[in-house]
Amino acid sequence: MPLLSKPYSLIVAAFLFGSAVAPLSAQKGTYDPAAVPRGKEAFGPACGFCHGLSARGGDGGPDLARSLFVMGDDHGKQLGEILKTGRNGMPAFPDLTPSQVSDMASFLHERVEAARARESATPPNIIVGDAKDGLAYFNGAGKCSGCHSATGDLKGIASRFEPVALQDRFLSPRAGGGRGGRGGGPNRAAKTVKVTPPNGPAVTGTLMSVSDFAVTLRESDGNRRTFTREGDVPKVEITDPLQAHYDLLRRITDKDIHNLTAYLVTLK
Amino acid sequence: MKTRNFLLSVVLGAAALPAFGQLTQAQIQKPLPESWPTYHGDYFGRHYSPLTQINQSNVKHLSLAWVARMSASTLGAITGGEGPEPKPGAAPGGLSVKSIPLMVNGVLYFSTPDHAWAVDARTGKEIWHYFWKTQGGLHIGNRGMGMYGNWLYFETPDDYIISLDAKTGRERWHKKIADVKAEYFSTMAPLVIGNHVIVGMGGDFLDVPGWLESRDPETGDIQWKWFSTPRPGEPGAETWPDAFSMEHGGGMPWQPPTYDPDLNLLYVPTGNANPVFIGDSRKGDNLYTSSIVALNPDTGKMKWYFQGSPHDTHDWDATEVPILFDGTIEGTPRKLLAQAHRNGMFFLLDRETGKNLLSTQFSDVANWSKGFKPNGQPIPDPMKEPQRAGALVSPGSNGATNWPAPSFNPETGLFYMHSSRNYAMFYRTDTPGEAIAAYGGSSEHRVDGFGGSLQAIDYKTGKTKWIHDYPNGAGGSGGLLGTAGQLLFAGDGAQNLVAHDPATGKILWHAGLTAGISNAPETYMLDGHQYLLVGAGDSLYAFYLQ
Repeated sequence: MPLLSKPYSLIVAAFLFGSAVAPLSAQKGTYDPAAVPRGKEAFGPACGFCHGLSARGGDGGPDLARSLFVMGDDHGKQLGEILKTGRNGMPAFPDLTPSQVSDMASFLHERVEAARARESATPPNIIVGDAKDGLAYFNGAGKCSGCHSATGDLKGIASRFEPVALQDRFLSPRAGGGRGGRGGGPNRAAKTVKVTPPNGPAVTGTLMSVSDFAVTLRESDGNRRTFTREGDVPKVEITDPLQAHYDLLRRITDKDIHNLTAYLVTLK
Repeated sequence: MKTRNFLLSVVLGAAALPAFGQLTQAQIQKPLPESWPTYHGDYFGRHYSPLTQINQSNVKHLSLAWVARMSASTLGAITGGEGPEPKPGAAPGGLSVKSIPLMVNGVLYFSTPDHAWAVDARTGKEIWHYFWKTQGGLHIGNRGMGMYGNWLYFETPDDYIISLDAKTGRERWHKKIADVKAEYFSTMAPLVIGNHVIVGMGGDFLDVPGWLESRDPETGDIQWKWFSTPRPGEPGAETWPDAFSMEHGGGMPWQPPTYDPDLNLLYVPTGNANPVFIGDSRKGDNLYTSSIVALNPDTGKMKWYFQGSPHDTHDWDATEVPILFDGTIEGTPRKLLAQAHRNGMFFLLDRETGKNLLSTQFSDVANWSKGFKPNGQPIPDPMKEPQRAGALVSPGSNGATNWPAPSFNPETGLFYMHSSRNYAMFYRTDTPGEAIAAYGGSSEHRVDGFGGSLQAIDYKTGKTKWIHDYPNGAGGSGGLLGTAGQLLFAGDGAQNLVAHDPATGKILWHAGLTAGISNAPETYMLDGHQYLLVGAGDSLYAFYLQ
């Protein structure tokens, strides 16, 4: 993925850059979750006036969710020292008990983590479309009924997939990890290729890989063959059984997508 | 004009200096054929060489001079850094050379996160290896080094700039740029201009401010800082709702700028705004994120800006190379700047004034814009911002193109790049009233696309002259290099290094490597041979005509 300049989630980062050092926020044990509500209670009256009740900054006090001081605090140790003495115009709070300080530290570290929000994994309910219009699209402009049927291959599909997965799947059928394939019988979604050398019969099989310089296929008997390519020789014709899904991307509207999903979720 | 005098003294002083390493300002400004003195090879970002020994008539005879496979093992390395000792026996992990090596006086200098090397350009043998003990930060890549005199500069994932002695690899000093605790990480290759080392950082995981800074090449001390978002009362503040959003607005300049010595202007490409996908808390255009900004390198003061992605909500950094060249537009000679933006748009600007001369959509599937304003800025379709039920957007956050170097060929007048026809579904996942930072409140689901291409654009019209679709479905890999030998070198995404005819895209030569190209090819003369050098995964490959 050389084009990927920045990972869009930690999971991607960890996957692509296995040896990478994870961002600090991924390190665990910076706070006790059970102490967070108690810490919030202690924080409010003492600190909320300046830093805001949520610690995101208020009247004169900085945003503690992005404070390097809080990030560098070790379970309330440094925080406790400041609270005793005050600093930079912040008054001292000598009356706070050690357990209150420790709870407050947990609350603030939780705030830091919340500010470092990553992408959420699961979108909430996404069904906003009209199932009737979705059915019309299925049978009409979407040309879905050319290959699929509600009583055939799609029967009960809505009980097998969450709505988001269903929606992603018709937009990106290959990313869904097609059925069959290696060791699992024929892969109905696999691309096939026909290679026609200048002298000799055409060879057909499942496409394994293709570049401008070579094409590799597997014949029905399992035999794997590679042909070098130079320009148009040999002739290479690739057929993608999922082509209709790709063609859809260029013309489908968001409204069509939402309607189609609203229809597909009825196929329980 | 202090800089000019300084440059002059450097040039005069350097004439008498002998050799190991030694790189003068004059040699950076007008690179010798026997060198590749900066990340881009020159200040202009053209990734174009006037060398012709390797050309269309003989490229078929290119052969391998050497391969150097780098190891992240720290055995025998010079060690620096403030982080913990690496665990003994820890797997070194896969190296990926994204840095474009400097070639100065027969030595190659390059880096990966936490590592730097000097390698003999004649043999590929390691001269020294420097290792930095990290405190963390995202180890996504390192674009390479800057050089001045006998000193090298590079940045680390935990946000330090390090200066090394080019001769020995020994550390001269290191300085903290930013705090890794705030999720900054640094990838940029520092750029040396006279008595300035230009430094930038990256990081989108927290809504922290982005900036570019200039440091003294001798001491590492800060000379100036330019923040990529304004503060209340400053120009540009009107494009943000409040002080908080500006101060947390991102705009990380994580790729090396380009520079025009005659105009003394630095062209800085800035990153996307923050929060990344949900822009509710930052209504407005959000200057100067996802923009090209012209700065005076002596003061850090902005002369002009052009924002290619106003109010970005798709992680479309403008960090693609702003290429500088001169041309004639409607009969008038102009100093130009061209950029193919990650969002799928091609922009041609007058680089003296920043005036937009041309905007076109180079991606034939981009679907997020409703056209262009009179000032050349695209008009984003608000319905293509992340939606609860999902919005199908092309391109996805990976972009219609990205940071790997494009190339400009003055003879063909064509701008070359790797492009990609891809899509993604952008979902909103926040709960109403939730305070959002960074990537919060959203989810991007990648959608299969149509793969990638090598694309040539006529800079005068912004129209595609030719496009070569890679058949493998994944698209090209790495950056590009053009030469006056009428060759365009590119990685095809199937681990081949390929030479194309820049006029037509026709394939003229290829060599299969053991990994996809991870940097951009470069070329230089050495002992009468023109070398072609490319990084692919953990290895460097050097080719020449035997």
